Amino acid sequence: MSEKPKGSGGGGGGGDNKEKRRKESILDLSKYLEKTIRVKFAGGREAAGVLKGYDPLLNLVLDNTVEYLRDPDEPFKLAEETRSLGLVVCRGTSVVLICPQDGMESIQNPFIAQDN
Amino acid sequence: MLPLSLLKTAQSHPMLVELKNGETYNGHLVSCDTWMNINLRDVICTSKDGDRFWRMPECYIRGSTIKYLRIPDEVIDMVKEDAQVKSRNRAEMKPRGGVGGGGQNQRGRSGGRNTFANRGGGAGRASSQGNRPLAQGNKIK
Repeated sequence: MSEKPKGSGGGGGGGDNKEKRRKESILDLSKYLEKTIRVKFAGGREAAGVLKGYDPLLNLVLDNTVEYLRDPDEPFKLAEETRSLGLVVCRGTSVVLICPQDGMESIQNPFIAQDN
Repeated sequence: MLPLSLLKTAQSHPMLVELKNGETYNGHLVSCDTWMNINLRDVICTSKDGDRFWRMPECYIRGSTIKYLRIPDEVIDMVKEDAQVKSRNRAEMKPRGGVGGGGQNQRGRSGGRNTFANRGGGAGRASSQGNRPLAQGNKIK
């Protein structure tokens, strides 16, 4: 009985020592802390919230979160409706896209102008 | 050419990314990693049906959700250059390693001596003992 805790403790310590510096993520989420970000999820849901925390697996803590609802008939189009989710933890594996809400705007077709 | 090598080479170039959900993202590639996660800058997002557009200053896209990326043609030439430089380095490394090892082999292994003697007079140390096998070899030929 007494050996088990010692063994696990020692193993844990060894693991910390052996743990190599992981290659830094190409996404530095710290720049978005306390800022509103837009998140798209696998399956099509979209939400925006104030980033309160994150981990390397891209799990997110969002506050004052708002989900952008979709028309059931046209699941790829966002309806104007939103619903408030409040404080949420987003599962990293289902996060598809992250971008800052600031500067994200709906625009007219920009490719027509380029063609002309 | 490896897909991720091409992608890495395409950093700072404009590209189009289509996701599995049908949305496309046009932007300049900032960075990518081994999972094909990417950062784009100055992005235009197009909805699946192609009639809605959003502008976003930057965005991060999970690699596993990407269907494909369209990359400017000229990028492929830049990859080739990289590959050539790499293969050149490898080609240079091999002989170097062989010569270096050969120097030690001359003292240690008798087999190494003959091979070096056959290459010519370059290996000075092998001259006294090595010339005989070389001469014999020439007669046989």
